[in-house]
Amino acid sequence: MRKVLAALLALAASSVFAQETIKIGVITDKVGPAKPYSEPTLEGIQFGAGEINAKGGVLGRKLELLIEDDQGRPDISATMARKLVDAGAVFILSITLTPATQQQQNVTLEAKTPQMTPMNSGDTLTTQLANPYFWQTGPLGSVQIATLLSHARAKQLKKVALISDNSDLGQLLAKFFRAGLEKSGIQVVTEEVVPRGVTSAEPQMQKIRAANPDAMFMAGVLTPENVLILRAYRQMGLKFPIHSSYNLSVPQYMSVAKGLLNGITFVDAYDPDKAEVRKFEADYAKANGGKTPYNIHGYGYDGIRMVAEAIRRAGSTDKEKIRAAMQQLEFSGVMGAKGMKYGFPDGKRTGFDPNGMVVRVYEGDKQGRVVHVGQK
Amino acid sequence: MRDFLELSISAAASGCIYGLIALAYLLMIRPTGIINFAVGEWAMVGAFGGFLLLGRIELPYPVGMAAVLGIMLLVGWATERIAVRPLVERGAPLLAPILALLGMLVVFRESISLGFGPDPHQVPEPFGFEHQKTYMIVATLIVFAGVWLFFERTTTGKAFEAVSLNRKAAALMGINLPQVTAFSFAGGAGIAGLAGLLVAPNISAHYLMGVPLAIQGFTALVIGGVGRVEGALLGGLLLAFAEQLTVRYAPLPAGYAQGVPLLLLMLFLLVRPTGLLRARA
Amino acid sequence: MRSLAGWIAAAIMLSAVAFFLGGYYNDVYRKLLLWIALALGYNFLFGISGQVAFSHFAFYGIGAYAVVIFLFHVGLPLPLALILGIVVCALIALAVAIPSTRLEGFYLALATLALAQLFIVVLNEGGTITGGTGGIVDYRLPPIFGLRIVGPWYTVVIVVLVLATYAVLWRLDRSWFGRACRAVRDNPEAAAAMGVNVARTKVIAFTLTSVLAGIAGMAYAFVDNTVNPPIFGLENAFLLLFMVIIGGAGRHAGAIVGAVALYLLPFVLSPLIGHHHALVFGVLMVAAILIQPRGLIGIYDRLRRP
Repeated sequence: MRKVLAALLALAASSVFAQETIKIGVITDKVGPAKPYSEPTLEGIQFGAGEINAKGGVLGRKLELLIEDDQGRPDISATMARKLVDAGAVFILSITLTPATQQQQNVTLEAKTPQMTPMNSGDTLTTQLANPYFWQTGPLGSVQIATLLSHARAKQLKKVALISDNSDLGQLLAKFFRAGLEKSGIQVVTEEVVPRGVTSAEPQMQKIRAANPDAMFMAGVLTPENVLILRAYRQMGLKFPIHSSYNLSVPQYMSVAKGLLNGITFVDAYDPDKAEVRKFEADYAKANGGKTPYNIHGYGYDGIRMVAEAIRRAGSTDKEKIRAAMQQLEFSGVMGAKGMKYGFPDGKRTGFDPNGMVVRVYEGDKQGRVVHVGQK
Repeated sequence: MRDFLELSISAAASGCIYGLIALAYLLMIRPTGIINFAVGEWAMVGAFGGFLLLGRIELPYPVGMAAVLGIMLLVGWATERIAVRPLVERGAPLLAPILALLGMLVVFRESISLGFGPDPHQVPEPFGFEHQKTYMIVATLIVFAGVWLFFERTTTGKAFEAVSLNRKAAALMGINLPQVTAFSFAGGAGIAGLAGLLVAPNISAHYLMGVPLAIQGFTALVIGGVGRVEGALLGGLLLAFAEQLTVRYAPLPAGYAQGVPLLLLMLFLLVRPTGLLRARA
Repeated sequence: MRSLAGWIAAAIMLSAVAFFLGGYYNDVYRKLLLWIALALGYNFLFGISGQVAFSHFAFYGIGAYAVVIFLFHVGLPLPLALILGIVVCALIALAVAIPSTRLEGFYLALATLALAQLFIVVLNEGGTITGGTGGIVDYRLPPIFGLRIVGPWYTVVIVVLVLATYAVLWRLDRSWFGRACRAVRDNPEAAAAMGVNVARTKVIAFTLTSVLAGIAGMAYAFVDNTVNPPIFGLENAFLLLFMVIIGGAGRHAGAIVGAVALYLLPFVLSPLIGHHHALVFGVLMVAAILIQPRGLIGIYDRLRRP
């Protein structure tokens, strides 16, 4: 009898405890174009939440992830944001396409709900709409080009080529790459676009060759089209150096672009040598049956931990207090160069330290060492 | 000048792919009048077959290629059996199988996406990097020669011609209509799959590659005309040259160059919908 | 059959629902209503007039962008912006429809496919006018007679819009014009012999339904207060086609059933089978055509028959 009573009490206690979870909404893309990025980010978030809950949660309560799929459609994304707000989420993590994250902002602004994207890099997300409830901790396109340029400074680039694709993020990155290049006094002699679905990038690369640039900057984010560019580069025996956005840090390139990558420098937010990174990879592998994570997982992992930290500092689940706490937050995570901290000084809503990116180089077909840090 | 020559080879190779897809459409349109937009997805299946058999399992190229083609013949035959034959037997309007095949397009794409994931995969090239384009052109010419000979010289081929000219009369003459249809779909799938296998080393095998190929192939068909087999290749080459030469030489901002194939398509539809090459009377 | 009282009762009932739904369900409801409006129009174009076109959703986008651009980049007052938006849709529709009458049916499909793609290209390259790849975001519906229409009240606006669209199409269907459209769909030569101006009928049907789609788009612009190119992508045109066919082409009820089923299905399926609901749509599409070309509404009819 006593055993039954004890069991009933334990059940009652646990159910009461279970009702006290802190709901964190996550909007991801499980079907559409952002899936290769959203999926690993989500896994990073889930791992992070699991870690936090195993240590007792936040403010004595466990984190509960409410995960919604926006099917890669921005208008559904806004609907999902409303669903999460109605369901009582105190924070929404957006890990889907840039336009989808943008569309959700109309909802989070209206509903005064804190929202953050740990992985989008579109600069316009914090400028198109004045939303004090929105933060972006992904590595901005403008930061990417500035980091690449500071690394290339020694090379005295005078004129360069810029190549991208016709996706919305690719176009956005190209715009900010161009702005960064021109600000440094480097002339963009030609800007080319490889549209989705073409069978060859040779015409574009021929135009670039004819312009005789000192280097080529890649701002595209579509994998097959980037592979076409690299193939044409090799086909035509071109020699100028290639500098790429963080898109080339996606590990899939190592298998789909074999033999095409050696010597390419790309900007990344992941230093595999960093102590935090090594710990993250080991812990993740242990919890996931030996499967190792890669850089994209880290965005999610940092994101959820920052949200948890903000709630902890706010001392409550009141959205206004969380907003204030997040704005004051300083956090040292897995991503970024050694010693980098996330922060939102002076009311800024972009949290990735402008000096926190690294430049890495492909050695053979493997993502190699860090050759440069920050924008100095 | 060197640019132009290099570009010509690149455009010729791309044009061959478009031509093959156009040929696949043509093989199915001629005897049945059915426009099968799923040819792009068939090409995708061929590409993934190449990835699996040649890339993962690493069969020797001729064996892998034969296996892929064999699989594609089956896929084409199965598609016809499932989505076309019941409708034709019922006497459904022409639009019905076209729409059913649109549904199959989605089924193919999602199945591959389910099976292989959203990431693109590399497909091996048999003759190495430098000779891939030559290989594409030669393979295409062989296929076109074969199909042309089939239509012109063999009795089965002539039976196809008869069916495309007049279904009822052909049936009355004892030509087995269902067999012709099944054969045309199987052949179409085989050719589309080959196109996918040929182009995949360039564009990578990924689940979104089908629809652009289907649209480009159809544009090539409209330009070249349904009447003659050679028209498909001509249309494909013209389209590829127009596309690539415009990007290289036209003083347009990069984004607008994508509009060229679309404008070309609309132009041909308005001015010369039967295409450049007329069927022989 | 449907009297004015009937329409008003429907309007009140459908609007009242909006006040009982929370933010999320209101959003789903609004977007569902807009898809119903689109499906009704597309059903008239495809099912009743027999024109295969892929531009319907592009006109939705043209309407949405037009009203936002006229209101906020050109600075026109709301009524003028709306009227100009309608004019723009009509002009573009005419530009596509008139040359297409000279062609075989399927060529219209291709021309409209090309139009839908060109639309996205223009949006992306449109610089500051269209907002480029990021679209236009920072706007709100201007006050009408001093009142700000938000929340459930805006849903009422959409309800009225959808019912008006339905009323217009229903009336047209039953009129001589509807009969002319069906005649042209089934047998253009016979229709011409009966004195129907085939080309003009087709052009009017195309232009009218495209304008209706554009008006729905104008309503959409203020649902999320965002317009960007990915919203109006080509996949939606296929979804619309699937909706009408699976629901039952040629019948208004079919369009409504199809829209409701295919719009809500992903929400329901997502938690269950994960995410490949597109696969289900493809299978349903093939099944619909093979088994029951009359669509879901045909199945319903069969069940009703004793």
